[in-house]
Amino acid sequence: MAAQEDVLTRPQPLATMNAQPTDVLSSVANDGRPLAFFHEMHQVFQFAAASSGTVDRYYRLGGYVVRLSFAGDALLPVFCSALSHLATASAQPDLTICLWDSGSTGVRRPAVPWREHYAVRGEVEGYNTERIYTVFDHESFGLSMLDSARNLAVLWAADTERIPYWIKGAPLRTILHWWMGGRGKQLVHSAAVGTSAGGVLLVGKGGSGKSTAALASLEAGLLYAGDDYVIVSDDPRPCAFSLYNSAKVAPDRLAAFPGLAAYIDNAERLDAEKALLFIRGAHAKQLSAGFPLSAVLVPRVTGLRNTIIRKAPRAASLAALAPSTIFGHPRGGEAEFRFLAKLVKRLPAYVLECGTDLTQIPQAITDLLSGKSA
Amino acid sequence: MNADTRFRVNTPAVTHEVIDGEAVIINLVTGNYYSLQGEGAEIWSLLAGGLALGAVVDQMTQSYEGDSSAIGNNVLELASQLQQEQLILTGTEIEVPAVADLERRHTNGNGKQSFRAAVLHKFTDMQELLILDPIHEVDAAGWPHKKTS
Repeated sequence: MAAQEDVLTRPQPLATMNAQPTDVLSSVANDGRPLAFFHEMHQVFQFAAASSGTVDRYYRLGGYVVRLSFAGDALLPVFCSALSHLATASAQPDLTICLWDSGSTGVRRPAVPWREHYAVRGEVEGYNTERIYTVFDHESFGLSMLDSARNLAVLWAADTERIPYWIKGAPLRTILHWWMGGRGKQLVHSAAVGTSAGGVLLVGKGGSGKSTAALASLEAGLLYAGDDYVIVSDDPRPCAFSLYNSAKVAPDRLAAFPGLAAYIDNAERLDAEKALLFIRGAHAKQLSAGFPLSAVLVPRVTGLRNTIIRKAPRAASLAALAPSTIFGHPRGGEAEFRFLAKLVKRLPAYVLECGTDLTQIPQAITDLLSGKSA
Repeated sequence: MNADTRFRVNTPAVTHEVIDGEAVIINLVTGNYYSLQGEGAEIWSLLAGGLALGAVVDQMTQSYEGDSSAIGNNVLELASQLQQEQLILTGTEIEVPAVADLERRHTNGNGKQSFRAAVLHKFTDMQELLILDPIHEVDAAGWPHKKTS
């Protein structure tokens, strides 16, 4: 596998820098090697697209038009299902992400020009600058790069078989995190549910009850923007934007959501995987592009019957939101922390003590949003 | 470490924020994060602000009711823990803020309350997200692979 992946099959070597736009030339001195490798990756993508055919899909994400440009169609089911509720007609893209895989196109990625230069989240040392972002994705064993100056990204995967199921539920997270961060928006590790008048972020690490609370709210008729990752902005006021219409549920929790059983994407692999659901099929009308935020809730599973919401210090919501958002994204750090600290200072925080009677969870959230409680 | 010792936050490895009297501190290198409440958050702010250790003890002793040596020991213990966790570093080239500013910020205006010993809460659950090194090795072409063992 290693030898196959690292043999270069591509068109002629990298075009001279003189062929690049002026804005590229201006930063070549600082971004030389990373930029050169980005061009090489992009050029190989173009070769793959020319030989396998280009398939473009457009989505409106966080208010921006994002074009996914595929070489061939093998990757479409992996990268498009979770975004399908945000599909839009072709338009001038704000960001273009080029995707290809070697398995279906037969076009291998360029040999990497670095050796053993991986940071703990897969960032390739020496290939990350203010302009260029480069990460080895240790989940799919793929490579993602962003040229922030050109709003152009390239993603390579060895083949679809090596892409784990949870990426299908939350695709392109790293690239979107990087790009949105430059635009005053932030991907956060959070669920978001609410009404058209306002909603809440449900924050906490895996297993804290985010998905349970979000799905119980969905089944009770609340609007749903996501169960694991959403985009937030705080200008002019805190808002959540939907990113994925997916949800992940531990198999032993599925019985609590019988209405969603028909929408499990990986029903035959539940012995080894969480259930991956695409909500679009089940509750399309409740999928919201986004809503203003009224509060941050930190869910806790109590094992008791009743659900209670009680006021919490806002630092508790920052501690529940910031670490998993920062460490879940390559290059996450100070900028993300400052953004999130600013956000939580503008929103009241509550602990959502989730009881076993799941109908009480959406009721408690609705009461909070309507001012009837807390 | 003595009364004149001053510290600075170990930036850029460490980021922090105090909200409503509670400090959230993240070590971006190790993945560990921490919280300090009440008096702990106050001590953190004073240390992070560059106040000398002895002045921090004086400040807390003046602001709170309690045995001054117990307060002093708690401040020293917390400073030592923060240093051990590499959240603060000693240093001489520190821009020290005006003590008067810090006093205004941290003195309790409504009379003295009993001192509650500061406790540093440490969370290590994010380390599972920083797992590249333990499970991968790099082949001759520079590409990571899962370790076979």
